[in-house]
Amino acid sequence: MLKKFLDTILFTEIGQGLKLTLRHMFMKKVTSQYPKEKLVLADGYRGFIAHRRYDDGVERCVGCDLCEAICPAKAIRVVSDIHPEIPDRRYAKEYTLDFTRCIFCGFCVVACPVNALSMTKEFAHSSFTRNGLIYSKEQMLALGDRAGADSDAYLKVRNMWEAENSGKDEGHYHFPPISLGG
Amino acid sequence: MVKLTVNGKEVDVPAGTTILHAASAAGFSIPTFCYNPRMDPAGSCRICAVELEDSKRTVMGCITQVTEGMKVLTESSKVHEARKTNLELLLLHHPLDCPVCDCGGECPLQNMSFSYGGTDSRFESHRNDEPEDMKSEVLVFNSNRCILCGKCVRICDEIQDVHAIGFINRGFDTIIGPPLGKKLDCEFCGDCLEVCPTGAITDRFVRYQFRPWQMEKTETTCTSCSSGCRMVVDTENESIVRISSREGLGPNEGSICVVGRFGFNGVQSKSRLEAPHVKKAQRLVPSTWDEVLPELSTKLSAIISRGEGRVAGLASSRLPLEDAFLFQRFMRQVLKTNFLDSEARQGFMNMALPLVSATGSLRPMVDHEDIVKADLIVVLGADPAVESNITGLAIKKAVRKNRAALYLVHGRDVSISSRAREVIRLAPGYEAVFLRTLRETLSSGTNDLSSEVRVRLDGWGVNPDAFLRLVSDVKSSKRTIFVTGRRFHRSDAAFEASHELIRLMGERGLFASEGSGLFVLPESGNDLGVLMMGASFEWLPGLLETKNSEQRSVWENHWNTKLPSGGGGLREILGGIESGEIRALISFGVDPLRFLPDSAGVRKILSKLELIVVADLFQGPLADMAHYVLPAASSFERTGHMVSAEGFVQPLAPAMAPWGNALSEGNMILRLAAQMGCPLPFDSIEAVSAEIFRIFPDLRPSTRNASYFQGKTGEILLSIPRSQPPHKAERESVNSRMTDFLKQTPHPIAAPVVGDEVTKGENTFVMTLSKSINHAGTQTLLDSNLMTIEGEGFLRVPRQWARKMKLKKGACVSVSTSHGRISLPIDPVSGMAEGEVHFPFHFADARFMELFPGKVSFNAHSGAQSGQTIDVKVEPIA
Ligand code: SF4
Ligand code: SF4
Ligand code: SF4
Ligand code: SF4
Ligand code: SF4
Ligand code: FES
Repeated sequence: MLKKFLDTILFTEIGQGLKLTLRHMFMKKVTSQYPKEKLVLADGYRGFIAHRRYDDGVERCVGCDLCEAICPAKAIRVVSDIHPEIPDRRYAKEYTLDFTRCIFCGFCVVACPVNALSMTKEFAHSSFTRNGLIYSKEQMLALGDRAGADSDAYLKVRNMWEAENSGKDEGHYHFPPISLGG
Repeated sequence: MVKLTVNGKEVDVPAGTTILHAASAAGFSIPTFCYNPRMDPAGSCRICAVELEDSKRTVMGCITQVTEGMKVLTESSKVHEARKTNLELLLLHHPLDCPVCDCGGECPLQNMSFSYGGTDSRFESHRNDEPEDMKSEVLVFNSNRCILCGKCVRICDEIQDVHAIGFINRGFDTIIGPPLGKKLDCEFCGDCLEVCPTGAITDRFVRYQFRPWQMEKTETTCTSCSSGCRMVVDTENESIVRISSREGLGPNEGSICVVGRFGFNGVQSKSRLEAPHVKKAQRLVPSTWDEVLPELSTKLSAIISRGEGRVAGLASSRLPLEDAFLFQRFMRQVLKTNFLDSEARQGFMNMALPLVSATGSLRPMVDHEDIVKADLIVVLGADPAVESNITGLAIKKAVRKNRAALYLVHGRDVSISSRAREVIRLAPGYEAVFLRTLRETLSSGTNDLSSEVRVRLDGWGVNPDAFLRLVSDVKSSKRTIFVTGRRFHRSDAAFEASHELIRLMGERGLFASEGSGLFVLPESGNDLGVLMMGASFEWLPGLLETKNSEQRSVWENHWNTKLPSGGGGLREILGGIESGEIRALISFGVDPLRFLPDSAGVRKILSKLELIVVADLFQGPLADMAHYVLPAASSFERTGHMVSAEGFVQPLAPAMAPWGNALSEGNMILRLAAQMGCPLPFDSIEAVSAEIFRIFPDLRPSTRNASYFQGKTGEILLSIPRSQPPHKAERESVNSRMTDFLKQTPHPIAAPVVGDEVTKGENTFVMTLSKSINHAGTQTLLDSNLMTIEGEGFLRVPRQWARKMKLKKGACVSVSTSHGRISLPIDPVSGMAEGEVHFPFHFADARFMELFPGKVSFNAHSGAQSGQTIDVKVEPIA
């Protein structure tokens, strides 16, 4: 009773509060000066989604449409076809990912059987129009090229690296040879 | 009956039933790969394992017959274990390249692995890695994914009877493909593609372009021939990706032919008309409906104000019932003319007129099921597998399963010839005299031929012994079916020949006895329906006669109007235009400039018209002359009903939105009639259907196999009610009319005069126009898929002749008549009569038509164009 009375008239609680403030004034700062300073993101960070390539530069995506099928936000649209240059190769003729719809769940990356997708540490994409956030395959490949090792790290930390080398034929997804002669 | 229990549930099934069927009767489904209800079970995939409770054994459900007291378990742990092991083995060398496999997403192997398979394999093995066989432009064989169920081989052998693919090698090395590693050369029906439970056979035209979940499915009816196949159209974003069917679906039981399966690109090609066009300063310029319709209505009103019969109308036989009904009512009631005709006039009318006068009906008395059960099938001037593919399948099945005697009366071998007991070679034009001889021989009661008859038969190229065998088979057979087709209907004396045939059949009582009858193959999807709806000057809807005032008054009272009675068909229309009586022509998809010879002459006649209106999918020679060209909706963009050769009335369902501003013909007519101030009392095509079904209850939708055993992806597509009106004609009413018909005196007939055009000599041939299996009409020439399969018109010449002339396939020859000369590439084929050549009519362009005599001639009785067969001189080009 007495203690409560003394606390009230002597403002001890304020003193306690100020003590904490004072202590923090001398501690190391944690606020980073974004955008001047960049955050260090964890490897599993689910940022913008990128398309990946094989080491020789060939795009990985085989246009299987599985990412489109799994996407809960229906953000992906894949139009698959035969590759115009590589004989009998399935590829995505058109690939669009609508980042205005994407909820960054990462399912598409899990679904992709050839590790063609990965999430990157890029998150700060903005646009004045909605269309500006609908990314084409080319844009996503550019994202992937920028992300480099980050995209590998994402797949490793998410336990998807195993698929990287399965069913491979000289580092590519394996398509059976074709016989055209007659 | 055998009593057994399935999962504890008792069922009674007839002896000889397999466990699979007994289980489905009890309401349990057993997974299958290699089983297909249409074919003999093979028992090769072992996925249908079931457990017998008493003996604790697993047996194969699809091949094991039930026994009394059997206790079957379909989902026991032992069964699951068996299926799991089985899948493990099936997937032992499977490449598991689902991501790039076109079957992925609708793959029974995937589905089964998902339901029964394990996540891992106990075996360590290599993955198959054989090259894919991409020699064919149509199908790709990937033997790596094949589970050797044998369905593809069996459907090609047992159902299609084409025998194009088989097992190659033995053991682990077994692959499926055309023999000797050759390029696939078959009818390209794609049935193997359809039944394959894996991605071992895939469609090259849409390779890698789709996933099943991206597409919407629409079940509809094919309009390309009279088989009336039910099929499933897969669309994505309003464009057709592929067409398939479903196991056991429709009268076609899930088979569709090359035209139905692959011929969908034309309707979505760039050459489709998108907007109404109007001619201004000799050029057709795009316009809108709102502009065109008032203009058109003013012009038409001005013309009809001058009196009855000033306008003529032509309708395509691909129009659904509703559109044909509106067409004739518009012509008769609004445009006050009875000058109307349909494409059926070109050939089918030669049969339809005698048939209706004899039997009162256009419906067949027999259907494919009767054909399968027949003892004797006589095919007259038809190539069933080409003209109406599914009828061809029924005939093949009759011979293969039930050993029916098949006689083919034709000038050359067709695809069913190898199955025929006798192929009777008959030059075109001799059908009527042949049938009269047959009828007289049958009624004479003797079993031999007089020497005079023998000489006559010899003269027509008919083997008298084969003829005698036919006579004795007709006499002894209990179920006899005559089949007639294009060549029969289009020969010069086709009308007389049809009369003879009906008389022959009537005399032998073939219309009266169950299982016997006449099966006519019309040429287009809805020949029957268009005529039933009165799109010909002879008939009002319901085949009531226009010139019979009593019958006419039925419709006059119903429509509360006065109907014109004179008029005429194509022949009279051309005459009327020439004399200046007819001032306007409206054509709904019929282009006489394509099929009539002497196009320059016809063009000159047509140029006398004040107004030509063409509604079509594409620009054509007539549309080039037209003042108004209206874009019509294709069969994939409309509703309506089609009558198949079997008499089924089956609906069309729109699979995509109308192309550009296209309208269906029926909708055009409704809008135009309203614009002209005489609106027809319907606000939609559905209202027309309802009216038709109310007046003609027997035209309500009907089909066979509306539901089916098991679809590839498992969904059930039911759109037709199960209780069905009859599709066949009633025997009683037919028979009562038949008696009157037989009392009439037969038409006088004579054998055709031979060789008046070109001097008969070494290289002279009779040339007929035939239908190609890969095309239907001329529109399929705009279809890139079908043009890949057959892109050029080859003149089919007898192989022996080509050999003599040292000509190979593709060599050019000069074909000449006294009217013209063109050069054509040849295709030597075996089994042709010595003096005959034929050419696919689809490729008969204006230059080709110049070979024909300058004057169009018509059959005196039916008004069908005659002279569709000509004598030509074929010479190698030096
Ligand atoms: S992250 Fe999720 S929501 Fe975004 S595209 Fe991938 S699956 Fe779709
Ligand atoms: S899942 Fe991967 S390979 Fe398949 S379409 Fe999507 S990105 Fe391409
Ligand atoms: S056949 Fe079926 S299981 Fe085999 S790769 Fe194709 S989709 Fe996968
Ligand atoms: S190709 Fe298909 S249908 Fe033919 S045996 Fe192989 S899996 Fe069966
Ligand atoms: S063209 Fe005839 S046989 Fe072929 S799918 Fe169409 S209806 Fe069937
Ligand atoms: S379905 Fe019975 S063994 Fe294949």
